[in-house]
Amino acid sequence: MDTFYYLVQNMLPVSIPLLLVALGGMFTERSGVINIGLEGTMLTGAFAGALFAFAVQGSGLSPNMILLLGMIVAAIAGAIFAQLLSFAAVTMKANQVIVGTAMNMMMPALILLVSKMFFNSDGITTNVRYFIRKVPVLGDIPVIGDLFFKNTYLTVMIGFLILIISTIVLYKTKFGLRLRACGEHPHAADSVGINVSKMRYIGVTISGILGGIGGYFYSVGITDGNINGHNGVAGFGFLALAVMIFGQWQPIKIMFAALFFAFLRTLAYSIPLIPFLANLNIPTDYYKMMPYVATIIVLALTSKNSRAPKAEGIPFDKAQR
Amino acid sequence: MQDKNGMNSKTKEKKKISDIKGFSSFTSALMAIVVGLLFGFIVMLLANPNNAVAGFRYVLLGGLGRFGDVLYFATPILMTGLSVAFAFKMGLFNIGASGQYTMGMFFTLYVAFMFNLPPSIHWIVAILAGMIGGMLWGFIPGIFKSLLNVNEVITSIMTNYIGMYLVDMLIRSNEAMYIPSMTRTKYIPQQVQIRSLGIAGSNVNFGVIFAILIAILLYVVLQKTTFGYELKATGYNKHAAEYAGMNGKRNIILTMVIAGALSGLGGAFAILAPSEIIGSSMTYEPINVIAANGFNGIAVALLGNSHPIGTIFSALFISYIQRGGTLASLVGYKPEIIDLVIAVIIYFSAFAAIMSSGIRRIFSNRREKESLITEPQIGESSENVDSGGNDEIEKNTNKEAE
Amino acid sequence: MENENYIIEMLNITKEFPGIVANDNITLRLKKGEIHALLGENGAGKSTLMSVLFGLYQPEKGEIRKNGEVVKINNPNDANDLGIGMVHQHFRLVEVFTVLENIILGVEPTKNGFLDMDQAREKVVDLSQRYGLKVDPDAVIEDISVGMQQRVEILKMLYRDNEILIFDEPTAVLTPQEIAELLQIMKDLANEGKSILFISHKLNEIMAVADRCTVLRKGKCMGTVEIKDTTKEELSRMMVGREVSLKVDKKESQPGEVVLSIRNMTVPSKIHKNNAVRDVSFDVRRGEIVCIAGIDGNGQTELVQALTGLEKMLTGSINLCGKDISKASIRERSVAGISHIPEDRQKYGLVLDYTLEENLVLQRYWQPQFQNKGFIKFDEVRKYALRLIEKFDIRSGQGPITIVRSMSGGNQQKAIIAREMDKDHELLVAVQPTRGLDVGAIEYIHKMLVEGRDNGKAVLLVSLELDEVLNVSDRILVMYEGEIVGELDPKETTDEELGLYMSGAKRDNVKEIYNAG
Repeated sequence: MDTFYYLVQNMLPVSIPLLLVALGGMFTERSGVINIGLEGTMLTGAFAGALFAFAVQGSGLSPNMILLLGMIVAAIAGAIFAQLLSFAAVTMKANQVIVGTAMNMMMPALILLVSKMFFNSDGITTNVRYFIRKVPVLGDIPVIGDLFFKNTYLTVMIGFLILIISTIVLYKTKFGLRLRACGEHPHAADSVGINVSKMRYIGVTISGILGGIGGYFYSVGITDGNINGHNGVAGFGFLALAVMIFGQWQPIKIMFAALFFAFLRTLAYSIPLIPFLANLNIPTDYYKMMPYVATIIVLALTSKNSRAPKAEGIPFDKAQR
Repeated sequence: MQDKNGMNSKTKEKKKISDIKGFSSFTSALMAIVVGLLFGFIVMLLANPNNAVAGFRYVLLGGLGRFGDVLYFATPILMTGLSVAFAFKMGLFNIGASGQYTMGMFFTLYVAFMFNLPPSIHWIVAILAGMIGGMLWGFIPGIFKSLLNVNEVITSIMTNYIGMYLVDMLIRSNEAMYIPSMTRTKYIPQQVQIRSLGIAGSNVNFGVIFAILIAILLYVVLQKTTFGYELKATGYNKHAAEYAGMNGKRNIILTMVIAGALSGLGGAFAILAPSEIIGSSMTYEPINVIAANGFNGIAVALLGNSHPIGTIFSALFISYIQRGGTLASLVGYKPEIIDLVIAVIIYFSAFAAIMSSGIRRIFSNRREKESLITEPQIGESSENVDSGGNDEIEKNTNKEAE
Repeated sequence: MENENYIIEMLNITKEFPGIVANDNITLRLKKGEIHALLGENGAGKSTLMSVLFGLYQPEKGEIRKNGEVVKINNPNDANDLGIGMVHQHFRLVEVFTVLENIILGVEPTKNGFLDMDQAREKVVDLSQRYGLKVDPDAVIEDISVGMQQRVEILKMLYRDNEILIFDEPTAVLTPQEIAELLQIMKDLANEGKSILFISHKLNEIMAVADRCTVLRKGKCMGTVEIKDTTKEELSRMMVGREVSLKVDKKESQPGEVVLSIRNMTVPSKIHKNNAVRDVSFDVRRGEIVCIAGIDGNGQTELVQALTGLEKMLTGSINLCGKDISKASIRERSVAGISHIPEDRQKYGLVLDYTLEENLVLQRYWQPQFQNKGFIKFDEVRKYALRLIEKFDIRSGQGPITIVRSMSGGNQQKAIIAREMDKDHELLVAVQPTRGLDVGAIEYIHKMLVEGRDNGKAVLLVSLELDEVLNVSDRILVMYEGEIVGELDPKETTDEELGLYMSGAKRDNVKEIYNAG
């Protein structure tokens, strides 16, 4: 049972970046824009958040306060960075995949450049301890307390809150209805007076916000609040895309997909702690490859009945019918 | 149309107009480059205003004195560039060049260390092994795309990671090729290295000659053969290609395998390069970093407008500014500034083509209103607009030609 | 005229596109409560004019007035605010949304920031009862019939309290019976005080329902007439500019031996769970034009795709000239003698970014005539292209090296026809070969089909246009919900009878004939 608690406690902080970034991807694709640049967006958020934490870490703010403020900084940075995509994809009608690729290449270079020039290292190292050993009151609930409120981070609770909000926004509001219409049939949306370009800008911006937060939460939950330009976010931006596809562009399914991928990764890094797997003596590198191999397999399995937003990736052209 | 001579003379005239198309892709590439460099300059200004001009001068002119190095570093990115460009022609985005490159490099290393072959053929076998390694890694996204219709972009990103982890693991576990204390591979035996071209102060070798020959070969394949015809047709319109009975599934796999082969060769050329220092060689460090040469290939392909010959020049250019970037560290900047510039160039080349086609349309409209040739009504299907009117205009054109 | 009660006036509208004037100084005045038809051929500028009124395009010249006051319509929102609504030719419905969601999209009622679906439902149910527009508010669009989708489009306008209703070619996708129903709805709406603009190129419908009619030709206005003072012939002359005989000039057919024989073909659907083609059997003989008639979406597309190899059959067999080609590849079928003029010429028929000559060898580039050891013989390609261009009179800016994208729709279609007719073939499959073309091009294509027939080829024509079905074919097979429900002789049948078969109201057991024989 302890191993189980351990796995869940470790899995949740890993799943949150995937969940948030995949939700971000969902919002852009539902509006009709493909965001391959989520990896770069995550890095932007992680870097901005870490930079902020680095600046305020001696000021006496509590770690969770830093986390909340850092989250806002990361969200703003991500949103600004995402405008690179919305401008190119919506206004200039450029190839969205190429733009996303450029965004992914831009950030590691920028981080390395800034870090090397000003910090004399490959990234930012902070010493804020975000880790929560036990949440008061909630942590005392049997089983549930052990699973969700011990040895955890504030990110987990915020992540699930954002999931709930996202679900409501997408399905229960005017905005959600219009956003989905733009991704499915932009001409229909246009003909009833919805500003497709504006909706797509908003969709991309949301992915920037969630991607930025997701990136910061990656550094909080996975790399102890640090970030560097070489390892970046280890392909989490791309994995999040796979999570989104696996989750069929629906929030709740995306959550399960994120948990699944997070579980695989946690397993890979916990091999020595699980006697059964440790005894197999398989090099840990194999386990490290697992999430990526799983992505290919999952995509192959879901490709047949995958239901992507119909107009995704196609620039909206009023004149075309 | 009765007057054939009239039309033939028009045909010749058109040859020149089609050159304009190539010219405009050149101008759009140039635009992206200028914006990219400008951006780099601004970043330099922000980072350290005092040395920005000196640093930027290194970036722009630093490569001049190091022509041998420019050629040498252009070799691998020319190969990955060709790889990306070739797949682009088919409408596939081979973002997996990095993994194919790394895999090719590993196969080459394996042959170099583990095989005992006569010196005369050992290096050739090593190069071919690299090609096969790349083919294998290109085959995976190819087969998933063709049989299961899985988007090649995500699969090839995943194969980048898998390839990187796999190769690093295999190298670390192989005592014959790895020195743990230095976290790098051993020096490659002299006999396996590709022969140097003998330019002093540089490692430039026959690899660059091979790469250019391969680019020319690809040009011939794309322009002159039925395979190239099918490939481009599929890239333009896969439905029409299918309708015409072309084997789309086979062509997708073939294209990705060839793209993989090109990247794999890039890996082989890179690792088999000779070293100026006697007794040493290129080495590989298995430190879980994805090969940058793969991503730089995307920039090379885009700047070269996916044209094999254009790709040669764009590879030289990227290599050239990279040399300059290295020199800029003399005044306190880091070589990553060039990676940033390259990323910005890719960003702008994604829509520079659209901008310049817009500019071209303005020009051609003016020109064609005079000669009364209708321009493509982009975004307006002929159903909406009077197609009869088009006929009218074309009749007039024919009269002019007569 | 000045004193009459016009609700909308479009005065001297000019709209240009690069290289073309789509609307040239057009004036159109709509009275309150009338049904005003806008008549013109494909490409005459009707859709452009309506897009201007609906705010999708901005005109270069001219003004729009509502109730005598000049208004500026910059986008569909402005149009909506002025009470203008439009049913587009291709429905603007989100397929994965419900009927209700589609109706409220853009004007959603909310309560505390959340969608108020109950209030919306109440209003929709109310409207649908008042105007007799039967819909299920909770059905998903992709699951409902085309007729119901059109009712959803009409409800969208009524939900917005629109006063001016534009119907853009609304009958193209309907059966004759559904058309009658729609025309009645339009009359009812006009009686309720709505003003209707009815865009069509079908004279019968205009004569049946409209009060007045404005005719466009090649972007120019030919005048407005009172329907009660005019005749079909006069309207037709105004529309085309000359006398037209829609009758195709052809001799009695002389059917020879069977060329194509399809037995028990079943093809799964990509859109829904049922099979798109269900147990279909028929023959096509040398020297006859067999036409598959039916409303769009009843399995014709899938039938042709399975026949040409673009789609796999579930069961059944295809026999061409005595050879079983059920499992053959697309290329093998093409070699065996199938020529195919595809439904969507830009999606399937042409590589738009290739030159004309490259497109003309699209089916033949691999033959020894055009290639040697994998290298294309460009001289041969050029020679061949020049011959076809002359023979079929394909007009383009720069001859064989014209990029096909820049050619007009009619000439693009001619290029496909040239390629497919010149290739060795026994069977010509032509799917909606005249779609979106003007009268001249239509006449030409019909002539070519008849010529092919007279040269002893078998011709299988798929058409949605009743006129075409009745005039061109020698034998009609009607498809309904994936099955062939009737075999008719065009000389003996009528519009009405054809309509009954097309709507599934009448069916014969055609299968028996072929399965027995």
